Amino acid sequence: MILTPVVIVLLQSLTTTRLATYVGFTGENYLRVLTDPEIFSMMKNSLLYAFGSAVLGTGVGAMLAWIVARTNTPGKALVELMPLYPLLMPPIMKNIAWILLLAPRSGILNNFLQQNLGMEEQVFNAFSLSAMIWVFGLACVPLGYLFLLPVFLSFDPSLEESAYIAGSRPMHTMMRITFPLATPAFLSAFILNFLRGLRSFETPVLQGSPAGINVFVAKVYDSMSMEFNSGLATAYSAILIVLSIAVLMFYVRATRFSERYATITGKGYRVKVIDIGGWKYFTFFAVFSYFLLGIAVPFAVLIIVSLIPYYDYETFMNFFAHMDLSNYRKVLHHPSFVSGLYNSLTLSLATAAITVMAGIVMAFTIYRTKVYGSKVFEFIGTMPLAFPPLVLSVGLVLVFIGTPLYNTLWALGAGLFVAYFPYALRNASGAIVSIHKELDEAAWVHGARWRHVFFKVTLPLLKPSVAGALFYIFIEAIRNIDVAVLLAAPGSEYGPVTLFDYFRVGQWGEAAAGGVIYLIILIVAVSMAKFVFNVKFSL
Amino acid sequence: MSGKTLAAVAAFCLFTLFIIAGTSHAASPDEAYNKTSSALYAKAKQEGELIVYTVWDVEHIVAILQGFSKKYPGIKTTYWQGRNPEIVTRTITEFRANRASVDAILSDNAPPVLRAAGAIMPYETAQKEALLIHDPTMPVVSLQVQALTYNTKRIKAPELPKSWENVATPKYKGMVALDDPMRAGPLSTQLAALKDFWKDEAKWSAFVKGLKALNVPVHKSTSAMFRLVIAGEYAIAMPALLHDVMNEKEKGTPVEYIKTATPIVFPRYAAVYAKAPHPNAAKLLTEWLISPDGQATLDSVGREASRKGFPSKTSIENAYGTGTQPVAVHDKLFMEDPQKWLDMHVKPIWAK
Repeated sequence: MILTPVVIVLLQSLTTTRLATYVGFTGENYLRVLTDPEIFSMMKNSLLYAFGSAVLGTGVGAMLAWIVARTNTPGKALVELMPLYPLLMPPIMKNIAWILLLAPRSGILNNFLQQNLGMEEQVFNAFSLSAMIWVFGLACVPLGYLFLLPVFLSFDPSLEESAYIAGSRPMHTMMRITFPLATPAFLSAFILNFLRGLRSFETPVLQGSPAGINVFVAKVYDSMSMEFNSGLATAYSAILIVLSIAVLMFYVRATRFSERYATITGKGYRVKVIDIGGWKYFTFFAVFSYFLLGIAVPFAVLIIVSLIPYYDYETFMNFFAHMDLSNYRKVLHHPSFVSGLYNSLTLSLATAAITVMAGIVMAFTIYRTKVYGSKVFEFIGTMPLAFPPLVLSVGLVLVFIGTPLYNTLWALGAGLFVAYFPYALRNASGAIVSIHKELDEAAWVHGARWRHVFFKVTLPLLKPSVAGALFYIFIEAIRNIDVAVLLAAPGSEYGPVTLFDYFRVGQWGEAAAGGVIYLIILIVAVSMAKFVFNVKFSL
Repeated sequence: MSGKTLAAVAAFCLFTLFIIAGTSHAASPDEAYNKTSSALYAKAKQEGELIVYTVWDVEHIVAILQGFSKKYPGIKTTYWQGRNPEIVTRTITEFRANRASVDAILSDNAPPVLRAAGAIMPYETAQKEALLIHDPTMPVVSLQVQALTYNTKRIKAPELPKSWENVATPKYKGMVALDDPMRAGPLSTQLAALKDFWKDEAKWSAFVKGLKALNVPVHKSTSAMFRLVIAGEYAIAMPALLHDVMNEKEKGTPVEYIKTATPIVFPRYAAVYAKAPHPNAAKLLTEWLISPDGQATLDSVGREASRKGFPSKTSIENAYGTGTQPVAVHDKLFMEDPQKWLDMHVKPIWAK
């Protein structure tokens, strides 16, 4: 199911040219890619941007996970949820909010500094590589957090206790013992964030192109949008596939002695938090700061923008005088705002459940069975992430177009499954590596069959990771537009199309109003799930 | 009666007959619409359905299809909305797979590309006399009008450029935001239109070089660029779309357009898919969209009319004054293969 669309698009790159014209076997697309003088500078920008974002996002996510799971930071219930809320905000909303905050001449922060502190220079610049990394890096944090949290939560404390007995201090222990043991999960999250950065398009388009920072993935989009040549687009994507394979090989090599990273062992233990003394107020402040920057500040900007007729600094600062609800009225009267959201709800739930389960089964096969060649699935399963969404969509359309499933919910569901499987697989791989094989082996020795080992031993131990992955994939799938767009049948909107429509046509006021409604629904749902129904997203 | 008089009377009678005959054949666009739409409606009702792919906002397409259904009940309408590359990719993939999946395609850039691939059924509207721009194979139902736009707080009237080519002078360095001329967007459309209109290679090259020499931010998202002009980040948008400017002016946004800069227009088509399962319903939709009723519906959602003299806030007559001649894009290569056109004409200057 995953390999078919991937193979089909790769075949297209060798057989088709402009306007999907079949020309038999041809190397023309690859020749054009390899002789393109622009790709090296663009790839350099892409690598810097993706690497910077992945380091920032995964690093901060790991720190937050450690704070929540392993320390006695006050306000546990709130602290546990705060890093998750930013995930609810679609990346494009963050882009718009940060552009309004950081724009050189019209931005809120520069104007505030100039008017209140008399600063003449423009301190912030939304249109720069560092601002791109800042915005996309912040969007990468929840994935790092969700991947690392289960590892820290199920950590055998004897490993750290040994360090304390030997005189090591909490921070030193964290850096020397705790974090190295979380390497597989960290690398899993890092690889995903890095690949997301490589193929991310919105941040580079909105924040990079005005500064002349063009990224590699723009070549893929130009091939699709100006030449209408999916064969050429796939040939460009092949470079991303090679890069994906390279980072995955690094991952497989780095985690080849998986026993070294097992933090869940057969020994009985109780997970204990570390008393970090006065540092606990600092760690609370760190979590709260991320909450502020990740969602509270951009959300506040969007709320104000949604209440004023247009954004400029003057109108923004005097928003009470200009306030009106016309943007909200317009959004709520939109013909597909509610229906689009409703349609995607059920499919996203099903997609999340099926994808996560399939990811666990595949990771189990790779790391816990001796099936010949199973390691290759590590690469195949992650491959869809190397394709920009529109290219992957074409492959999926070609898979289904000759079947009765085309233009049905089944095809759309299958498309979402393929798109999100890499997340489920990487999450499950990282988590399974952290469970020591001795637990499985004990079951094997007692005559258990593989299904018993899987359902009675591995799956219960993976519960925290499953919850995190379910939550992440559900939130991502519910707002998916890119992969779903070619597979959605006429007459049935999928996802909050309205919201993205408004952003696309530049109606930022209406988009902000739609985004505020959408976010409030999700924040209330997540908070109710946590506090009323006691749903555990991570614990 | 003399021979001369007889000859004059005979000539007069013949002339009158000729005029009457001519008039009876060249029916007015409204009459042509009534006649054609009656015939199409009878067949479309039998087809019973209409599937539309469109680039237009969901709000707009819903209002348009509601207006159509009100006028022509008994035809079930559904739509799918995507961006131009998605429309082209989906339609071509379905066309190559021999699927009868869609009837009409409402878009600007996508239909010429699809026509080049053979995926469009040629259809000439019966109301061609009424149109500002006519294409004999794909009816032009609306226009995309580009306006030279500025932020009234950032730049004062005496400093304003008077024309598009005025913008390409060093005076406006640091004030202008440019749409990326190397993508198939509004600025490249403008360059294609002006190249054709000026028919002066040196003038056109100097214009592109002048824009490049401004060394100003280049945006790949025209809508985001327009927002930043409103925000005051830039003083001048090169270019903005007239319906966006009119929309913002109504809200009291500090933007205005320069009436002395000739409007640049690009057609918005209603094209019939080559393998349309309901071709008569598709043709009926295109005819209705060009009719006064359809144009009024388009106007109600802020889309520019394609009909000559149609009274709307975004019409060229209303926005620029009676008698204004817009500059339209006619370059076939640009419309069908924008990448090739840009590589041939703009890249050698821009990429230097």
